[in-house]
Order: sequence, then C-alpha cells, then structure tokens
Amino acid sequence: MIGLVDGNNFFVSCERVFNRRLVGRPVAVLSNNDGCCVSRSNEFKALGIPMGTPYFQLKHREASGELCFCSSNYELYGDMSRRIISILREEAVDVEQYSIDEAFIFPPTTAAADYAAYGRRVRAKILRWVGIPCGVGFALTKTLAKIANHIGKKRPDGVFLMPDDPTEILAALPVQEVWGVGRRLPLKLRAERILTAQHLRDAPDATIRSIGGVTLLRTAMELRGVPCHEERDYDADPDSISCSRSFGEPATTAEALAESLAAYTAQAAAKLRRHGLLAAGCNIYAQVFASGGGGDFLGRTVVFPAPTDATNEMLRAIREEVDTLYIEGTRYRKTGIVFFGLEKPGTAHQTDLFDDTPPAEKSRLYAAVDALNARYGKGKVFSARHSLRSACSLPHGSRTPARGGYAQGLGARSWHMKRQKLSRRPTTRWDELMTVR
Amino acid sequence: MSKTAKVSGSVVAGFPSPAEQYQEPLGLRLPSKADAFSADILDLNELLVKRPAATYFVRVEGDSMIGAGICDGDLLVVDRSLRPADGDVIIASVDGDFTVKTYRRDKSGVRLEPANPNYPVIRLRAGQELDYFGKVTACIHRFAGKR
Repeated sequence: MIGLVDGNNFFVSCERVFNRRLVGRPVAVLSNNDGCCVSRSNEFKALGIPMGTPYFQLKHREASGELCFCSSNYELYGDMSRRIISILREEAVDVEQYSIDEAFIFPPTTAAADYAAYGRRVRAKILRWVGIPCGVGFALTKTLAKIANHIGKKRPDGVFLMPDDPTEILAALPVQEVWGVGRRLPLKLRAERILTAQHLRDAPDATIRSIGGVTLLRTAMELRGVPCHEERDYDADPDSISCSRSFGEPATTAEALAESLAAYTAQAAAKLRRHGLLAAGCNIYAQVFASGGGGDFLGRTVVFPAPTDATNEMLRAIREEVDTLYIEGTRYRKTGIVFFGLEKPGTAHQTDLFDDTPPAEKSRLYAAVDALNARYGKGKVFSARHSLRSACSLPHGSRTPARGGYAQGLGARSWHMKRQKLSRRPTTRWDELMTVR
Repeated sequence: MSKTAKVSGSVVAGFPSPAEQYQEPLGLRLPSKADAFSADILDLNELLVKRPAATYFVRVEGDSMIGAGICDGDLLVVDRSLRPADGDVIIASVDGDFTVKTYRRDKSGVRLEPANPNYPVIRLRAGQELDYFGKVTACIHRFAGKR
C-alpha cells in the first residue's frame, strides 16, 4: 500500500500557523515579486478567484479589506515542509518527497489492519505538531494514491482509502486529471473515446501505446493496480522538480554526501531548464541509518538570492548547508533535493543587477551544457569552478561563517525582489521570532 | 525520538551474555553531534528540544508573566506536541495575538492566568474554543545583551 500526504493550501496554511488573523479569511500567497496567486485559502477559492490571477487585478479588493495577501516566504515553507517530512519518517517505513508539500509514504505493516485509522493518526500528528492540515490517500499504486488523496482532502477526516474495486471512482474522473496524463494528450485520447480514467484503464495496451507511448501505458497499468512508478524523477511532471537516490553502500564521508547532492542538483536543474522554469529555492535532505535500526531525516532549506535555473548559482547557495548535513560517524542512506517556488521567467521577475552574465549568454551556456549531457550522459559536463567538492574541502579557517556569511549575501542581493507582504521567518531566524505577550 | 518502543531483553546472571542480546530501544533517534563527542560536549538542544519537528522558539514581550520568572525579552521553548494540562504555561492566540499565560481548567471552564496582578485573567466565552499553540517547556533568560 502506498500513501500520498499533502498539505492543504500549503503556503497559506504555513502563514496561518503564525498569523492567526488569517484564519477563516480569504487569503492568497503571491508568487515571487508579488506577481500572482500561487496558493489560496478555501475562503479565497470560494470567491471564484482562480490560481494564477495577477495581484494587480485584486489590489483594490485588498484595500477594501475583503482579501488578504502574503508574499511568498519560502524559507518558512521549506522549514515547515521539513518538519512534516521528519514526522512522516517516524511514522512510515519509507518516505519519498515529491514536492515541497507532497510526499509518498510506505506504511508499516502494523497499519495494514486499518489504513484509514493509520492515516487519521498521521494526519492528526502533523496538524498538532506543525499546524498544517493535510489530505491523505491510500491505494495500491502512486497514481491511484494521488486520486485517493484528492478525495480524502474533501472529506471531513481528510483521509481516503481507495476501495479494492475503484471502477466507480475512475469512471467519474476525467482522464486529463489523472496524474501523468498531461495537458497535451486529451485531444488524442478523445479521438479514441478515452474520456475517463476508467476508459484509460480498460483500453487495449496497443491503443494506449500508440497515443502516449510507454509512459502512458505505465499510467494505465498503475490505474489497474500494478505499481509501475518506481522511485524516479517524474520527468514528465513539472510540478515536481526533485531528484534523490539511495546510495548503493551507506555513505560515510562528507565528500560522498556533497558529491551526490551536487549531482542531483545538476540533474534537477537540467529538468528545470527543460521545462523553462526558475526555482526560488530548494530543500536538501539526507536520510541516515539510525542506531536503533530505523531511519532518520536531516534537511536544510535554502532560498536562492534570486529565482534561478543556473546550476552553479544553486551550488553556490547550497554548499554551506550541505556541509551542515554532515555528521561524523553517521551512515547515510539517501540524499535528495526538492525545488520549490517554480515559475516561468519573465513574468514578474526582474534581472539581477549584480549578476555580470547577461541572461541570453547564460541560457546559451546552459543550453550547451544540457546538450552535451544529453549526448554523453547525465552529469558528464558540469561547472568545475563551483563544484561542491572544492567548496567543501576548503580548510575550516578559510570558510566564511556558515549562516552569517550566507545570510549577508542574501540580504545584499535580494533587495530588488518585490516582497512587500513578507511575513517573518520565525522558525529559521533568531531576529524574526514570533512574539508573545 | 517521540516514540520509544520498549524492548526488554533478559540477561542471565553470572554468565557473560552475547552482545546481541542487549537491545537498543527501537526509538527513532537523530544522530546529534553529541553522539560522536558525547564524552566532552553537552548539547543544549539535547536537553531542551525533545521533538525538533514540534518545537518552536518564541520571544516574550512585556511582563505579564513576571511572577512565573518569565521576563521581557526572554526566549521560550515551545512544544506543540504536548496537550495542555491545568497549571501549564502555554502559548495561545487570543483575538489574533499570541499570549503566554498559565492554563487553568476546572468546572467553571478554561481561563488563561497572567502571573502579574496588573493584567486581567482571560476567560473563554461560552462555546469559544481555545486557540492553543503549544506548551512552554523552558524559558531562556539572558543577563546581558539579551537580544
């Protein structure tokens, strides 16, 4: 059985934990540079304002007190996400983080007696410990778990277990809403009279293959209850830009940790560029073998000085944090990276005045890097100047102070980002703690 | 960390027993730097933060809890995983603002008591639910250069 846990209206929910005045009100969190709505409260959705609505169109309704807005505070969301994942790691046998607010979980055998009860317990724990309401769905495959999660989210207890025969549910689900089908395929599917998830599940393999190749066939197999999505990069899905792998042998050195994270960063960044997106930041994490036999989770949140798709900028931003993940004598099982704050460039993004590389030249550089890697294999070409290995092998004395140095750099470079409604970062900054009277 | 499944083994008196008979609790534990250097480093996190995923730090403003030893500018360690019991010092939100008070619960209902006679007791109205944030588990008071 596979579970999918995701935070409801995640960014808004994070803001509400520390700002109780936002509870029960129509609230939206804005994209980078306060561009458009990227997360909406239920009250906001109920007003019929769609995702992606530009902020300037709604400003007058904020002035009148009808609507509330927050700038995106990715440092806060990243930390809350890490808290949730670490709880899931305690409760599940394995956790695969899919995006900043979504994770697949593999429940322990003890949960088999009553998955719904297990789901309610996990959900209640996250709600109490972190303050974020989640939806939880269980099914035999990831694709079905996604569907179960959507149903669970609408239920009062937040949890749904896919029945043994999901035909009725699949018959009511438009095929384009199935995870992995994408927005381009429905026309071709319609031509074959495949309109619902049930149609896709029951179509002949040859037909499915001719429409969407082996990828779509895998989706159909998953709808039939046959797991086909092993741990992978979900390449077709731009909602999740992440990369993680388990080590063949437990890793024990700082170099192995740093190199794996650098490689995954490069891979995930290439995917970002393939989809024409910029990321505002990332969570990096490492799973370790704990002494008691279970596993555990270490993570850090990094917000980039400005949204980027450039591998070397990312490596520069994460290298200090990678170092803090390393603890001597620890056996690492797996490392990974998840990007967040994904957006198309050019919408509301301003150029970085301190970056001396013209954007056009930069994109040509990475186009060349990506082309070479596509031809000669992943990770063959990367930026040596900023490789994490050289950064991490600096003698201790010559390194800038871990957090101070980075924070100062961020402060100096981020002034031009428009974030006028930025809440505090009460879980990651000593000088921005929540105050109590 | 939070759950510690107690696994008890038995040891036969008089004979050295094989090492594998000694079992560590199956609790999930974060390896901390303290593990590697437990002989010479005491880590305050180990003492004050039992559940990192549920722990938040907040800053005190004002003197409403001065009688409980909580001063203006102090740092409080707050654990959201703990349910409030009568007499606990807690963080809750009242009319949208966070406050630190002593939680009282009896037949007359729930109230939040300051530890300073200059401040009023906060009583929940009938049907009003406490907007609980977490339980204060420690107060860190610094004597100079507070912030």
